[in-house]
Amino acid sequence: MKRIMKYWNQPSTSPYVFVAPSIILLLMFSVIPLLTAFGLSLFDVPITMNKADFVGLENFTDAFKDRRFINSLKITAIFTLLEVPIQVIGALIVGALVSKNNARNNFFRAIYFLPVVCSATAIGIMWRMILHSNIGFVTACLQTMGLGRINFMNTPGLTIFVVSFISVWRSFGISAVIYVTAIQQVPSSLYEAAQMDGAGPIRQFCSITFPSVRPTFWYILMTRFAGALQIFDIIYITTNGGPNYTTESTVTYIYSRAFSSSSSMGYASAMSVILFGVIMVITIMMYRRMNKEDA
Amino acid sequence: MIQSKNAISLLMKSLIFIILTVLALLVLVPVIWMCLSAFKTEKEIISWPPTFIPHTLTLLNFGDVQKRIDILRYIMNSVIYAGGTTALAVVVNSMAGYAYAFYDFKGKTGLFLITLATMMVPFQVIMVPLFLVVFKLKMYNSYWGLIIPRVAVAGSIFMMRAAFTGIPKELAEAARIDGLGEQGIFWRIMLPQVKPAIITLTILSINGSWNDLLWPMIITSSTQMRTLANGLALFIGQNTIQYGAAFAGALISLIPMFVLYIFGQKYFVEGMASSGLKG
Amino acid sequence: MKKKVLALGMAALMAASAMPTMSVAAEEPITISFWNSFTGADGDMLVELVDKFNEENEDGITVDMDISADFNSQLSTAFAAETGPTMILSSSAYRFTYGDYLQDVSDVFDKTTLDKSDFIQSYLDYCSDGDKTFFVPFQVVGYYMYWNKDLFEAAGLDPETPPTTWEEWESMAEQLKDESKNVYGSGISYDYAYQIAHIMQRFGGLAVTKDGDAWKANFADNEGYTEFLNMYKTLIDDQANPVEADTDSMMSAGQVGMTVGGPWVTAGLDTAGVNYGIGLIPQGAAGDMNSVEVLGFAVTTTASEEEKAAAYKFIEWWNTADEEGSSPALEWSLANGFPAYTYSVQENEEYQASPKLSAMSAANPDAPTDFIVDSNFAGINSIISDVIPEMINSVAFDSASVEEALNTAQEKADEIVAEYN
Repeated sequence: MKRIMKYWNQPSTSPYVFVAPSIILLLMFSVIPLLTAFGLSLFDVPITMNKADFVGLENFTDAFKDRRFINSLKITAIFTLLEVPIQVIGALIVGALVSKNNARNNFFRAIYFLPVVCSATAIGIMWRMILHSNIGFVTACLQTMGLGRINFMNTPGLTIFVVSFISVWRSFGISAVIYVTAIQQVPSSLYEAAQMDGAGPIRQFCSITFPSVRPTFWYILMTRFAGALQIFDIIYITTNGGPNYTTESTVTYIYSRAFSSSSSMGYASAMSVILFGVIMVITIMMYRRMNKEDA
Repeated sequence: MIQSKNAISLLMKSLIFIILTVLALLVLVPVIWMCLSAFKTEKEIISWPPTFIPHTLTLLNFGDVQKRIDILRYIMNSVIYAGGTTALAVVVNSMAGYAYAFYDFKGKTGLFLITLATMMVPFQVIMVPLFLVVFKLKMYNSYWGLIIPRVAVAGSIFMMRAAFTGIPKELAEAARIDGLGEQGIFWRIMLPQVKPAIITLTILSINGSWNDLLWPMIITSSTQMRTLANGLALFIGQNTIQYGAAFAGALISLIPMFVLYIFGQKYFVEGMASSGLKG
Repeated sequence: MKKKVLALGMAALMAASAMPTMSVAAEEPITISFWNSFTGADGDMLVELVDKFNEENEDGITVDMDISADFNSQLSTAFAAETGPTMILSSSAYRFTYGDYLQDVSDVFDKTTLDKSDFIQSYLDYCSDGDKTFFVPFQVVGYYMYWNKDLFEAAGLDPETPPTTWEEWESMAEQLKDESKNVYGSGISYDYAYQIAHIMQRFGGLAVTKDGDAWKANFADNEGYTEFLNMYKTLIDDQANPVEADTDSMMSAGQVGMTVGGPWVTAGLDTAGVNYGIGLIPQGAAGDMNSVEVLGFAVTTTASEEEKAAAYKFIEWWNTADEEGSSPALEWSLANGFPAYTYSVQENEEYQASPKLSAMSAANPDAPTDFIVDSNFAGINSIISDVIPEMINSVAFDSASVEEALNTAQEKADEIVAEYN
């Protein structure tokens, strides 16, 4: 018992105690399924996994020849470039603006958080309805304002912007609130000192707020990146990839390959491995950068 | 000079206020449209020209929801799922986040990268293998099967790591000198420091499970185990959508989460007060 | 003492009176699970009917129904772990994906009072593969034409005379459109492959047919398909057909003059109070056809013999008429507008009196019922969810010519066909 207590409380061993539960759970419920899925990418296997033919790297070579897969990577990249900067930088600015605790800020924060607590399905059909080219409320309003009838959901080239907007709309409240919690942890003495030096609000933001919330910034950047590259639910509910595949993200395509048409788990897994590779490379690059800053 | 400075600051304040208000409207108008639509007749929701304020108010949609699903049972399941997952998630993920932020230990980078790697594969792909694991562990169609696999989340660990990184290391050193063990330092000194982050984690975790659709559906096999989100999905058919009922359901499931957020927000204030004192 | 005797007597009496019922319900109470994807309005009625069965049946059977918002995910993960429900209700095309997990149910006609000769053969064919029967028909889904009588009137057209040919459809669509009110004549959605498929095959026949022993795709150089795509393109260019995925809502809002869809369209039109008519989809050059999908009950391989027997009892109940001649199958048809799959329902007075169903049942009974591909072609899912959407999208949005679109579709379909040859 005493020995256990020793491991428990010693600086050299206790970190392992702290990470053990998460590592065990992640191994069982994430890493093992993940490795299984990777293994499947070498097989021709239906979704029910009752038969498997080894096909080597065929699924991978097929993927690189698949125009829809290449297109989906392109769409995913566009979506990520549209969504991530707003989520990471826009939310930081808004978070900073509402970080002080007072009634007004409490009110704004609550409003911004509203979409976060709505179910994605409800949000999806709501936007589909109000942006409907014919009977949509927003479309009709814009038309009466003389802006013409904009076909938000059915115009190749435009709809990806609309989908990115809906995605930002839905979750920028989370990013903002997380920034707020980080900003609130910044010791107020720092600001007092800066004020005495005569620094204005913008300089305070650049020289105190931003450096102090750097870890949170990296967290939001990296998780948003990984999330955007795997965007699925909002697209699935609003456009399901249309019009003309101009909003079909990689995961939307993977899903349709795994479940809806030919039910090919092996091929879907191979595409996920490729996507995993892309995300992993970007994440490791960011992680290095982040560690350099931490040190 | 002072006057012009005041004028600039006033201008800036109003500009900020305008930006915040525009953003708020952007958020509010669609949400209010949805909430009002829950009280419209189906005919009015799908009509031309579209309306914002209902012509006639009706509670029929709520009646439909109540008739179709066993709301109390589903809410109870949602509470068990969200509550169980969150209680465990807060403990497990903040412990891990703390370790990655405060210690240098062998294998740290490797373990952290493995953790991060788990958030890079779409759930749709690991769903079937994950199901098999849970099934082999005999947790299929049980609350444990619902909860345990969702406890450790890479994103949450990362978030807690970020929160702990902001705490000065001297605080731990001082406590060590005072003779506190590592566990004591974490639970008694460090955890209270990141209260706002813990509240955020709690809200996000509850909210995530509350609105989670796919996992509860595949891991339970009886209607008695269904959650509210599953129940509400029934109004969105493959060929037809019952808009009124769907919006009414969305409103029903939104309110508890929103109230929870308002409560959580009260704790932000306290959290800031305490960290302000020590900082 | 007296009391005791009385009690004994009572007990004996009770036992005696209980005996006969006991022997009827000799089997242990049993609960069977039943999964399907009937989300939306018709699911309400399914719930009611299943509840009714649970109350009425004297065999101690409880059907625990689970309606799933993501049926495919739920079913495939369960099957992967060799578990799953006793009974499912799905499109008969599921036999191509989940056939390994479905039991042969051809003995349902031996083990229950159901009479095989009462079931319309062409629908039964949909449910089988060789000697094996995977499904007992539950619902026949045909697509029909709906038109808005008020819009017809407003455009100066006779509200009782819908188009009977596609030339008429096209010219009426032009007349019906009214830009000042955002009204369109024709409601064909680029994002609705089933709708497109039902229409398209009337122009140019089936997309995959049997050629000797091998399957063959018929996209390239298909004159009918070319004609259909050209018509679609013209309608869009003339703004007689909206560029919109969700045309059903527009129909319900009274913004579209004519559309094609399944019987559920009527539910939306009824709640919206639209004054509409139902008719058959205009036939085209490919001749008379009555394309349908058949949905049916299936028993999975995870079910035990007892569970299978209980599922049979349910299926039997569903198709058995009570003293007044009404069966759940009939009620279902009447309420949701699905045509009958048994002769007995078809001949029912109430069924024949229903204006919706009589319009739907006007189809030539000898017309082929295949939907978009030969009903035995296992690659139907890929044709509907990959080939047709790519084709119609490229016509609607790309500058690609109709000929190019069809050639691309042919290439894609050839690949799919090759997998099954």
